[in-house]
Amino acid sequence: MRKLLFVYLAFFAAGCTVKAVGDPNRPITINANIVVDVRGLKKTAVGIEDMVSQGAR
Amino acid sequence: MNRFKRTLVLTIFLTFGFLSAACAAQSYDLKEMTPAVKQALENRKARFAELEHLKHEGLMGEASTGFVEVRGDSAEAVSVTAAENQDRKIIYEAIVEQNALGPAGYAEVQRVFAEVQRGKALPGESIQLPNGEWVKK
Repeated sequence: MRKLLFVYLAFFAAGCTVKAVGDPNRPITINANIVVDVRGLKKTAVGIEDMVSQGAR
Repeated sequence: MNRFKRTLVLTIFLTFGFLSAACAAQSYDLKEMTPAVKQALENRKARFAELEHLKHEGLMGEASTGFVEVRGDSAEAVSVTAAENQDRKIIYEAIVEQNALGPAGYAEVQRVFAEVQRGKALPGESIQLPNGEWVKK
């Protein structure tokens, strides 16, 4: 029970949603919010577009 | 009491672990260079000079969707736009699929690539702002 509470706290702090906890006889369902990191995506986009423009020259 | 301290330390450790993982910048590379992606990139490199020319002439612009759009009356612009967008679509879909970004991720990929294209556009070229308005950079 205490372990489940800690798992809940850890997920809560990380910005995720814990749907159901507490009953050891039932499986736990955790819905994690998938957030696209724009910084990482932008880095990828710049890399690809640089490759296209520089590869053409 | 000691057990409580141990569990408290463990909880703090786990919490910081999750937080640091959430805060670290993710990388969304093309993990696998499939033949389709490779071909799309080669096509885009080969087309780049023509694309720049059409943009310079005001016949094509960078839309807020991450794709190019025809901005004038030109059969060449129409065919180049279709081919360019087809290749961009292959690349965007590969990024989404290989990084498991899901349907919402595709829109985000389009938005970010559009932002990069706006940044790379040369002065005088047509670009579409996120609010849909077309302007000359």
